[in-house]
Amino acid sequence: MTNPIFWVGVLTLAAIYASLAMALNVESGWGGMWDLGIAGLLAAGSYCYVILTADPDLGMRFAPGLSMWVAWPLSALFTGLVAFAIGAPALRLRREYFLITTLAFAEIIRQLVVIQADFTRGTLGIPNINRPFDSFVTGRDYNYVLLVIAALAAAVMYLVTRQIGSSPFGRTLRAARDNEAVALALGKRVNRMRIQTFVLAGILIGATAPVYLFYIRAISPQLFAPGITFTVWTALVIGGLGSIRGGLAGAFVLIVFTEAVGLIEVDPAHINILVAIEPMLVGLLLVLVLRFRPDGLFSERDSFGSRRTQAERASGRAATASSRPTAAAQASD
Amino acid sequence: MQNVVFGIVTGSILAVATLGFALVRQTENFLNIAHAQMMALGAFVGVVLVDTYGMNIFAAGAITVVGLGALGVVLSAVFFQPVRHQGGTVLLFTSIGLALMMYACILALFGTQARFYPNVSGSLHRFAGIGIATNELVIIGLAFGSIAALQLFLNGTGLGRAIRAVASNDELARVRGVPVRSVSNTIWFISSAFGAMAGVMLGVLGSVNTEIGWHNILIVLAAAVLGGLRSITGVILAGLLLGIMMDVSALIIPTAYRPVVAFGVLVAVLILRPEGILSVQRRKDAVVT
Repeated sequence: MTNPIFWVGVLTLAAIYASLAMALNVESGWGGMWDLGIAGLLAAGSYCYVILTADPDLGMRFAPGLSMWVAWPLSALFTGLVAFAIGAPALRLRREYFLITTLAFAEIIRQLVVIQADFTRGTLGIPNINRPFDSFVTGRDYNYVLLVIAALAAAVMYLVTRQIGSSPFGRTLRAARDNEAVALALGKRVNRMRIQTFVLAGILIGATAPVYLFYIRAISPQLFAPGITFTVWTALVIGGLGSIRGGLAGAFVLIVFTEAVGLIEVDPAHINILVAIEPMLVGLLLVLVLRFRPDGLFSERDSFGSRRTQAERASGRAATASSRPTAAAQASD
Repeated sequence: MQNVVFGIVTGSILAVATLGFALVRQTENFLNIAHAQMMALGAFVGVVLVDTYGMNIFAAGAITVVGLGALGVVLSAVFFQPVRHQGGTVLLFTSIGLALMMYACILALFGTQARFYPNVSGSLHRFAGIGIATNELVIIGLAFGSIAALQLFLNGTGLGRAIRAVASNDELARVRGVPVRSVSNTIWFISSAFGAMAGVMLGVLGSVNTEIGWHNILIVLAAAVLGGLRSITGVILAGLLLGIMMDVSALIIPTAYRPVVAFGVLVAVLILRPEGILSVQRRKDAVVT
């Protein structure tokens, strides 16, 4: 096959998408909040990080030139704040309407980045983002360092989300998703939990944003078009919405697959087709998985369903119905 | 005033696009994200027919609208019918998948170069100091003509009544022997045809590029929500209102904020008045009680 550096890059990207998909899973898989605004949160975290660490010579209005180790946690916190500002009004709305609102907020954030060019350099973007340890390791070898960073980030994300998923908080969250009335009757403060989850997912996405920037190296508003939201969602749906491993597995399948197809040699005259391959594959995979394996590669039941009996599994839809009280009952543990 | 006229033109296109979208939302019960890609496809097919094959704009428009209407029926049968029983969210994500695939086809077939409809603006007319071009007049006329035709169809024919029956209560309609399958096909045809028509109009007014679909889906969503999805009048008013607001706001704030205005209105409406501008009844499905 081609050189190993290419595959190191692919794996790095897959690890980054895996982190984002696992963060999304906390709010959408378990919280039942269908968030189509991940691109906006990622943009908030990325621009916060970039502005805090930018070289003052670039002529941006606000460039404190902080160390990246200070800016990293700050951008995670900032993204959490942005998530709170979006979530507080948006969470009053139900599924579809919530989804439209988050999509709209993401687009507003992107347009604001374009317009506020004094602070963000607008569509010009910011090149040459500083990366950790790049004074020690240079050139092509740096790709390995980046892979280690991304893999560590994904591992931490996996452990954190697994912890959340199996905690009483996570169980209550899933119970409230399946049967809000029961959760409320048990005295759970559902609305408060949802906003906490939404902000938590924001913080997790904000913490991933710098890793994404280390990989991309230059930032521009175009990166945060709705396309990236759809890619993360596709990864999660392929892997299995609500399953702990789902985001991880889905992102690796999706990214390795799309990048590998990009290796096909195409006549420069047909460059259009090369550009079209990625959206085509993402769309096709999404449609096929939803049609033939709607639970994804790993289903939520694989992650949490150890108490379920074989008979319930066999009876298909009845099992899902009967799982609702179960999840609600677990919440009272 | 000039901007109000621009706003009315934008708004009538938006009303046409949104009606197609709202029709599917009401009868099939999901938000069809691929609708805006149908608009983009319409704009491209039209521009190819006019620019490459030298067709008359009206002939090209008619072929595009009918052809893409038929394509919409085929796409719904291939993509949406098999997953229909799985409910709204699976359908919604299937439509995102379909939107991505249609976008890929547009990229592959037409390339990333922006294209223009040649010689379609016509002469400029002046009424009391306000200029309006022939193409803009034709767009407004066609938009309202087709909306009126749809209204007549829905109210005056058997199939139209069947559609309204399915929209108000799917199961009851099925039980009462409404031919659900042919109703569904008709809806997809009308919806896609309206989307394609709005796409051609957008192309005639400006330029045609591959990002048209992604740019417009949010504006269509905004208009649909603003209109309350239930009434045709509401959708028309919402489309016009949004179009006028986007174009008039350009006088007060920089034009770069144009999309932000649309989304800001959307967010404000959803949060302050989720039942839409015309509906009296509170939209129960929208708000957490």
